[in-house]
Parts: sequence; structure tokens; C-alpha cells
Amino acid sequence: MPDAILSVLAAAAPSTTSILLASMGGLINRQGGIVNIGLEPMMLVGAFAAVIVSAQTGNPFLGLLAAIASGALLGLLFSWSITRLGANEIVAGLGLNLLVLGFFGYLLPTVFRIEGTLLPPGLVGLPKLQIPLIDQIPGLGPIVSGHDVVTYLSWLSVPLVSLFLYRTPLGIQLRATGANEEAARAAGVPTLRLRDFSTVLAGAFAGLAGAQLSLGVVTLFNKTMTGGRGFIALAAFYFGDARPGLTALGAVIFGVFEAAGFRLGSSGIPSQLVQMLPYLVVVISLTLVAVRRERRLRERGRAAAASMRTAVVR
Amino acid sequence: MIAETGIPVAGQETIAPPRALRLLRPVQLAGPFLIALLVGAVVLFASGRDAIGTYWLLAQQSLGGTSQIANTLVAATPVLLTGLATAVAFRSGIFNVGVEGSLYVGAFAAAWGWRVDEVVTTLMLNYVAILLTSWLVNYYFLAPDIANSMSPLIAKQARLSSLLPPSQLTIAFVAALLVTLLYAYFFDRTRLGYELRMVGLNPRFARAVGIDLAGAVLIAFVISGILGGVAGGFQILGVNYRFIDHFSPGYGFTGIAVALLGRGHPVGIVLAALFFGALSSGGAMIQLFSDIPLDLINILQGTVMIFAVIELSRLPFVKRWLRHA
Repeated sequence: MPDAILSVLAAAAPSTTSILLASMGGLINRQGGIVNIGLEPMMLVGAFAAVIVSAQTGNPFLGLLAAIASGALLGLLFSWSITRLGANEIVAGLGLNLLVLGFFGYLLPTVFRIEGTLLPPGLVGLPKLQIPLIDQIPGLGPIVSGHDVVTYLSWLSVPLVSLFLYRTPLGIQLRATGANEEAARAAGVPTLRLRDFSTVLAGAFAGLAGAQLSLGVVTLFNKTMTGGRGFIALAAFYFGDARPGLTALGAVIFGVFEAAGFRLGSSGIPSQLVQMLPYLVVVISLTLVAVRRERRLRERGRAAAASMRTAVVR
Repeated sequence: MIAETGIPVAGQETIAPPRALRLLRPVQLAGPFLIALLVGAVVLFASGRDAIGTYWLLAQQSLGGTSQIANTLVAATPVLLTGLATAVAFRSGIFNVGVEGSLYVGAFAAAWGWRVDEVVTTLMLNYVAILLTSWLVNYYFLAPDIANSMSPLIAKQARLSSLLPPSQLTIAFVAALLVTLLYAYFFDRTRLGYELRMVGLNPRFARAVGIDLAGAVLIAFVISGILGGVAGGFQILGVNYRFIDHFSPGYGFTGIAVALLGRGHPVGIVLAALFFGALSSGGAMIQLFSDIPLDLINILQGTVMIFAVIELSRLPFVKRWLRHA
């Protein structure tokens, strides 16, 4: 049994990576005041760009750069539609999902003449990095060592995002924009540009997340390969209240669910029920948070009324 | 929970628009369609296909004969109902993106009254509903001797009979039109509909005049959920005759596009539903007759959604044009 748990955890590391990265991007965006439900299509674009560039150049790291750039570009366009053209972020995000999914569904059979999986000649995936000494440790070795470089970048991104948001002037201005745009603008913060910047970062993170799927987990592209991970990432940063540490915890939990789901199918526990867990966890945790907030507000109201009564009596 | 959705809805403008903006009105209404067709044409052209020929074929295959029109009406039925489901919520100031999910479970009520973010919860509940029904059909209602995940066929007596054999046009389409009339009557003529509209327009004012906000939200969600459920039910009784795992190609999301394009107006919603019905029935046929994949329809639909919420008057070149007008 412990062996089974360890093997699930070892499998969970790479399946957490894309969720973790996309959720970090999404939380920056959320802190900047935009709910980004376009993470999924941004991941898909990144996955595609990574495969094309890696196959053309034979260098998977150039593929990663292409994924980051294309995700960022899509993020910028998405952001403009919201910040400059007044689009509702949810509808524009759903539209982007349909548009990008439709685009690849159209592109693969008509231009690349394939149904399903794109495997261009010369495609090179990301190498797996063995960490010396650590990979010798029984149990821990396979969990920590032997992953692609993006997985380690994703671990590093959690403290970096935290530092950026809470310790740099830019990050603090970004959070001010998200908390109260009018007040931030009055204080001289370039709020529109900052909101755009946060969406560009979200796109870059999501693009890199997609590249990890198409060059790290597998080495190919197809239009269903993101498989809802952009929405799981959304679930993760909602679960984590857009805070880096909690969000990362959410992403890890959901990554473990995913890795466990594959294995549980054969053991009689329906995989659908396991796949359902992230979404249920978010609905329940959002409800609990809201109930607590409401109760606090009510208590504060009662306390205020009581203090007012004593003031009047005096 | 109730917030400014920023969704343009007919009859909810509070300030009379200036003359230049009035000129823009028809552009804002027809614009998303035209831009989507243009984007689709560019995609077709760039991939070496004949755009005009494809659109002509699409028109012929969706409107060019009795059976084609019947198929378009069949395809319009679920999205008319999901469009109404979305519009009921929109006009009450709620952003229900969970119609796709209510299609599956029939109806559900989301967490209400605690100001939970309804966009995210309903979005998440979509997945819950789809996975839950997938589990049910695979573990408890699986048809024997079939490899795919489907329930057994429903009894012949339970199926809706065709109004126009051999097409699958049934009473469901007529019922959907009646629901549209009910929708119009509800919002324009009943007290409850008026209250919901007020909640959508200005929740603070609505509360000040004594409307129970939590109750209004619950009612709007329940109506919306029921309509989504009816859409799913009709699809089973009139078209598929069985529950199929993941059967909906996004009827709920198309419903959002329908509600947006129709601007919440009953006539607009019917027209938008017919447009998307024609696209999907015609698209299915051109996929058979040519090498153009059905995904073209998703490109059109996604573009329509994005441009339906973009304020075209803020586009630089439109601004310049307005200044001249």
C-alpha cells in the first residue's frame, strides 16, 4: 500500500505542474482584478506553439519560449478586449475557449491533414533531470527527481510569485488595482496597463503550462490535451483565495486527485467521482468562506447596534 | 452575488443614447454576426477553401428545403431553451454559466443567499453534473451489449412523435416557442418578473423598496435550471431516445451566445437560436459533403460571443467613423 501511495505521488508531480503554473498565472490576474477563464485556451496555444517550434528547431527550450510568447500575446489581446473595449471577462473568456478549440479542430484536419494527434517530424521533448544523490533516496527519489525542467520551474514560481505580489512596488500596485481600481487610479497607479500586464503574465504562465503538457508529459499535440486543466487551475486559485501558498496547495491536491484517478479506475472506485472532487471542493470551500463572511458581517452589525444603544443610553 | 454583469440587455438602458450612438445601434446588433462571418471567411480563405462557396453551401444545407429547415428547427430547439434559461438569469442580474450542467441533471439550485461567486460555482457545477451523470450511466444505467456509454433506449410510447417525418421535428420546438412567449409575458406583465428585472437593473434600489434579494436570486436560478433541464429532457425524448454520456456539444454555452445576441429580447433570442441552429445543422451537412470540419461553427460561435460583449463604439476606427457621422 505505501508503495502505491509513493507511486501516485511520483506520478502526481508532473501532473501537478501544468495546473500549478496555470493557477499561478490565474492568481496574478485575479489579484489584478480579472477573473481569467481563458487559461485553458492559452494553455492550448502554448502547447501547440511549443510543438511546432521544437520540431522546426530541434530545440525544446526554444519551444518553451515560443509557448510563453504566444500565451502572453493571447493574454494581451484578451486583456484589451476587457480593459479597453469593455467586454465582460466571463463571456469573452468562454468565447475564447470556443474560438481556440474550434480553431485547432479546424486547423489540424485542413492544414496539417491529420485527425487527432499532431506529431511533426523532428519533434524533441524535454529531457528528464536526474538530481544526483536525491534520486538515490528510496521513496523520495522518484517524487523529487527525474522530472522535466518546467516542473522545477513551477515549484520555484510559487515563492517568486509571492515575492512579486507582496514585496515589489509593481506587485503592490497590481494588488491595489485589483482591490480598488478607482482609488488606485486616483493615487496615480496606471491601472489599465497593470491589468493588461497581469493578463499577459497569466497568458505566459498558461502558455508554459501547455508546453509542459506537449513536451514534458507527452511529446505530441492534440486539441483535447489540456483536458480541462485550465479550469482545474481556476478551481485551485479560487480554493486558495488567490494567495500563492494556499493556491499551490490546492494545485498539488488536484494534481494528486488526477494521478490517483488513473489508478483508481481499475480498483473499482469510479474515476468520474474522483475527477469530480476538485470542482466539489471549490464549490464547498467557496460556500463555507461566504457563510463565514456573512456571519462575521452580521455579528459586526449586532455589535455596532449594541454599542450605539449604550451610547444613546449614556 | 448580485453584481453589475455588464451584459447589454434590451429595455434596460437607463439613459437615452446620444444621436451618434443611436446610429451605432444596428451595427452593435448585427456587428457580432458580421464580424464572425468575416473571421470565418478569413480562416476558410487562409486554409485554401472557398469562403463564399462554403457559406452558400451552409445556407443551402440549413434553409434550402423542407427537410433542411426541419433539421435547423430541431437544432434550434435546445439552444432556444438554454438561451431563455440564460436570459432569465441575466435579466435578474445573475450570471448563470451553469445551464450546460443543468441540462444534465435536470435542475439544480446553486448555493444562494450567501453571496458565493455564482460564476465560478455554476461553472464548477457544470463539471460536477457532467461527471455525475457519466458515473450514473456507466455504472447503473448502461445499456447491455453496447460499447459506448449510453442508457438503453426509452420506450416507443415515451418518445416524442415527429411532426414532419422523417425529420426529428417534434412538439419540442413548438413548446420552446411557447416558453419564449411565457418568458416575454413573465418579464413584461407579471409582478414577479418585474421584480426580478428590477433586481437585475439595480439590486440596491430593489432591496430598498422591499424586494427579497435572496428569494429573487433563488427563483431566477430555479427557473433557469428548469429551462436547462427541459432542454436536456427534450433532447432525450425527441432526438437521442437515450441518455448518452457527454451528449451535449455545448448547448448551454451556445445558450449564453443566444441570450447575448438576442439582447434578452424574446424575438432576438428566437432569431439568434435559429441562426445557431442553422449553423449547426448546416455545419453537420457540409462536414459530410466537403472536407470542412464542424469546428468552423465553434470559431464562428466563439467570435460572436467575444464581439457581442465588446463595445464596438470603443474600437478606434469606429470612434473615428462616429466622429464624422
